[in-house]
Amino acid sequence: MISYLDNIDSAKKMIYAFYALGVLFVFKVIYPAVSDTNITLWVLNELIVFTSFFVLSFSFDEYLGSKSNYPITIILTAGILTGLLFVIVSVISVIFAEDVSYFDSAGVISNIVITLFSFLIAASGIFILMAFKGLFYLRQKKDPASFYYTMIIFFILSGISTSLKEIDAGMNYVHDAIFVVTILLILVNSVRVAWIAFLLKKQKITLLGISIIICALSGITFSSTLSGSVFYEILFRFSPGLTNILNLIMIYGCIYFGVVFFTALFHLPTAEAFDRKAQEVSSMMDLGKLITQVFDFRELAETITTTTTKVSNSDAAWLVLQNSEALDLVSVNGIGYLEADALANAVCNTENRDLTEPVILAPAALRNYQSKNPNPNFYKSLSVAPLKVHGKVSGYLFAARSRDVPYDEEDKKAISAFADYAALAVENAKLIQESIEKERMEKELDVAREIQYKILPRETPKCETLDISALFIPAFEVGGDYYDFFCLGDKKLGFVIADVSGKGISAAFVMAEVKGIFESLSQLNLRPAEILRRVNEILKKSLDKKTFVTAIYGIIDTNTGILNFSRAGHTPTLIRQNGTVQKLTPPGLGLGFDGGINFNDSIKELEIKLNFNDIVILYTDGITESQNELNEEFGLNRLEKILEEDNSASIDRLSNKIMTEVTTFSSGKSQHDDITLVIFKWISKN
Amino acid sequence: MADFNINVRGVGSVDVIDLHGYLDAHTAPDLENAFNRLINDGKYKVVVNFDHLKYISSAGLGVFMAYVETMRDNKGDIKFSNMKENVYNIFDLLGFPMLYEFFEKEHEAVNKFTD
Repeated sequence: MISYLDNIDSAKKMIYAFYALGVLFVFKVIYPAVSDTNITLWVLNELIVFTSFFVLSFSFDEYLGSKSNYPITIILTAGILTGLLFVIVSVISVIFAEDVSYFDSAGVISNIVITLFSFLIAASGIFILMAFKGLFYLRQKKDPASFYYTMIIFFILSGISTSLKEIDAGMNYVHDAIFVVTILLILVNSVRVAWIAFLLKKQKITLLGISIIICALSGITFSSTLSGSVFYEILFRFSPGLTNILNLIMIYGCIYFGVVFFTALFHLPTAEAFDRKAQEVSSMMDLGKLITQVFDFRELAETITTTTTKVSNSDAAWLVLQNSEALDLVSVNGIGYLEADALANAVCNTENRDLTEPVILAPAALRNYQSKNPNPNFYKSLSVAPLKVHGKVSGYLFAARSRDVPYDEEDKKAISAFADYAALAVENAKLIQESIEKERMEKELDVAREIQYKILPRETPKCETLDISALFIPAFEVGGDYYDFFCLGDKKLGFVIADVSGKGISAAFVMAEVKGIFESLSQLNLRPAEILRRVNEILKKSLDKKTFVTAIYGIIDTNTGILNFSRAGHTPTLIRQNGTVQKLTPPGLGLGFDGGINFNDSIKELEIKLNFNDIVILYTDGITESQNELNEEFGLNRLEKILEEDNSASIDRLSNKIMTEVTTFSSGKSQHDDITLVIFKWISKN
Repeated sequence: MADFNINVRGVGSVDVIDLHGYLDAHTAPDLENAFNRLINDGKYKVVVNFDHLKYISSAGLGVFMAYVETMRDNKGDIKFSNMKENVYNIFDLLGFPMLYEFFEKEHEAVNKFTD
């Protein structure tokens, strides 16, 4: 039945309780008082009373269960009901004085009134008992149910034994034995008051007041309901058993709140320390949550300084970050910016010790720093805790007291814990900043790559005597490859292939510059060697010492098939004539070298007469230096071999074949340099 | 990442830099630091031993260009030795033999300074 009642919903519990009380009420109107003349009626009366209040207790239990996290609320409610009980008892005692006989001849109306009174009293008593249950379960880690239920069972047994005693005086010893056990159980259950420790100081003071009042009220109510009093008579008529239980409840209330009073009293001196610890823990938890939610470090810093001030009982707290040289004041609480800055600098610069561990500065040491301060606000104690991430100090959290209570080790630990949180937040903010920065950089790189594509010719020139194929595959980063074609008039075609040393944005910038230089110089119709000399003159001035450019510049006469070209440090040119592949490497230093010797003298020009089906291949080292998983390079030999064996119908096919070979070779490794491949094929038979 | 190692040792009045592994855009700063330290110490006679170098990229080549002038301005030089053929070919293509002295053996390069 108990588990059944526990499981049904609250509305139903109320209805059942209402029915039970209704039955009891009707019964009571008909048979107002118990009497030992009719045993059956007596037993029936007790049965109905016990059942109806038992059912009612479940409704109360449910209500109190929802308040179990607010012990003070439960106690206040219990206190009010105890007060109510006390008032009722007092009023009845005064009104009816000793005139018990009045009840024997009472009419229906007074019966009803008395019954309602009894209802109210019994309900209050049961409610108080259930409130005790709520308190009893509070903050209990072990399951204490068995103790509590044993006590309740003895309450009920005690109630039943009262009836036995009244009916048969010989059963007196049973009642007494049960009574003694019940009192013992009450004592045992009364010492379970651990929940008091978790109350705040203010709540403990409130509890102190309420508990002494409840204790006293319970005591007085108990004494005025002892057998012989008016009240006892009234209740006894209602139900002898319930009267006994009510008495026990009053005893329980008196003892329990007596214990609560003294426990609260003894907890009072440590209450403040307990409060502070609790506050510290809860603010730590709040901060931990904040760190993952708030991306704005300054906002978080405000919270950190505010909580530090509060939790460490300080008058001021401020947070500085250690930048490469200076200290950067991020947030202040309870102190001016200028003063905080001056103090932070004074301490960090003067303190000889490494401030890698938290430090408390005594008043004597402090006076030193503060005398330098234009507006000294003599702090009596100062605590400095470093913000450490991966063993590196990224800043300091300061806390200061102007009262004459120096910081102790506990304070130091707390402030240091806040500093750790601040360090975490700094690191977090930094990482977020970095990822935003990285995203931005990646976007910029995309733009740069797009520009690089636009700098290169969109299509190869069309020519009746010459097939031209050009291919450019950028590496992930932007690079410095460049190729171009120039129409020079007189059926002459200029071409250039160049590679800027290094990679990334800087190489791409140089590449753009190189494009501009070749574009304008090509229009002067100069010899290839002369063009490269002039390019070198210009680049020498603009490039830094470690950057250089390799290039080949050439001119093809599309009428005659005469190819003139010069090389400035660039990879060898491959040419296939009559099935034989040759490497052409005319001397020439890379562009931008200013090594003291004359670039102009180093550079030579080569002239080749192209015949039908002759193929010329220009490329950048992205092809020859592409690596496989064993870090072997593709190399020039492989390229030569492909060219030698090639019988493709078109040079686009040849270009594809080369790229397929390179890709197959380097599969499993990412392309780490731009690849440029330019192929010419002379297709005129004259 | 490909590994790269630098070891600098004194041989008489000359300093020899031993290069190990892969010298590319990522590892070039290590070599730059080594040169900077030598210059700070007033040591301008340098032989670079390429015996254990497996790979050099264009960024690696640039480092030598960046420092040779300083060395020569201070009556020193950067000389190369023990270069394998594949590495030498890269230097050769760029025209380095016109600017630098290459030696088969380290002691030849060192002796060239002391002669």
